[in-house]
Amino acid sequence: MYLSVRVDTEKCIGCKICITSCPEPNVFIFLPEQKLVEVNESRCKACGLCTTVCAKEALKIG
Amino acid sequence: MSKKIITPVASLAHILPEDYRALVEKGPHGKSVGIKDLGSFKEITEEHPHCAGCGVSLGVRLALAALPAPEDTLVVGTPGCSFFALSQTAVNYSNTAFGNQNSVASGLKRMLSIRYPDKDKDVVVMAGDGGIADIGLDMTLHSWFRGEKISTIMLDNEVYGNTGGQESGMSPEGQVLHMAPKGKNFKKIPVFEMARTAGCVYGAKVTIASPKRLGMAVNRAILLARELGPTYVQIYTPCPTNMKFSPADTLRIAKEAGKAHYAFEEFMTEEAALRIAAMEGGLEKEPE
Repeated sequence: MYLSVRVDTEKCIGCKICITSCPEPNVFIFLPEQKLVEVNESRCKACGLCTTVCAKEALKIG
Repeated sequence: MSKKIITPVASLAHILPEDYRALVEKGPHGKSVGIKDLGSFKEITEEHPHCAGCGVSLGVRLALAALPAPEDTLVVGTPGCSFFALSQTAVNYSNTAFGNQNSVASGLKRMLSIRYPDKDKDVVVMAGDGGIADIGLDMTLHSWFRGEKISTIMLDNEVYGNTGGQESGMSPEGQVLHMAPKGKNFKKIPVFEMARTAGCVYGAKVTIASPKRLGMAVNRAILLARELGPTYVQIYTPCPTNMKFSPADTLRIAKEAGKAHYAFEEFMTEEAALRIAAMEGGLEKEPE
C-alpha cells in the first residue's frame, strides 16, 4: 500500500507549520483563498514529521 | 542561474518536464521570497534522495528557501549526506574533493568578483560536519583567517551518516553509534567558538526546529558575507537512521537539543551589527 499524508480539510486552519516541517520540497501547497494546505501525494514519503507538529491534528498518515 | 538562462524558447517548452516549467513560472528567481512564503512558490530543490524524516534534507530545504538571491548564488558542497540534495537543485552548484569546499569556494568567489565586478555573486558552502569540522577543518579555518567573503553553512547531524554511522568530531561526548559501540570519548569540536576567533564577522547556531530563526541566520550570513567577510551558520539536523529514533521524532529531538546543547546563539562584529540594523530597518537613533 502506498502511504502518504492526508489533510482533513475541516480541521486544517492553514497555519502553514507543516510546510516548514516537511523535509521533502514541494509536497505541501498553500491555498491562500481557502486557507488550507494541499498535499502532492506522489511526493510524500510518509515520514510523519508534519503530523507531530500539527496542533489541530488535521494531518494523518494513511 | 538567472531566470533568463533557464527560460526555454517557446517552441521547445512543451518537451521539458513539468517540474522545470513550474520552476520557470513560479520559481523564486528575482523575487524576495523566504521561508514564510514556502508552499506558495516552486522551490528550487526537488525530490531529495534522503531517508524519510531526514534532518539534513529539511536543513538543506530551509537554507535554500532562505537564499536572498538564488539566481546569483553558487553553492559548493562536499561528499556526504548534505550533498545529495544539492545535485538536483536549480542553483549553480559545485562538488569538491572531500574537505576542499572552502578552498574551492574561495577561488570561485575571487573569480566571480573579477568577472562580475558590479554584481553580488554569493558563494555559499553547504557541507556536513565531516566536511567542515573533520576532514576540511584546516581549509575551513584558513578561509576564515584569510577573510574570504563566503558563507559557510554546516549541516551538523553529529555522525557520518551515509557511510554507516562512524563517530564524527561533532558527535557529542558519550554518544553511542554503530561504529562507536563504547561511546565517543572526547568532546564535540567547538567550531562555533573557533569561527568567532578565526575572524568570522557573523555566526549563528540554530536547529531545524526553529525555521524562522534558521532563515534569518542564513539570510544575514549571506548578506554580510557580500561586503564584510566570512560568516558561519551551524544547523543541527538530527539523523533518524543512525541515531535510531523514529523518522517522525526528528523535530522533537531537534527541539530538545535546542533547549540543551544547541541553544540559539549568535555572534557578530560591531560593524556587522550596524549593517544588520540598517538592512532590517531597525536602525537605532543615535542619542542627541
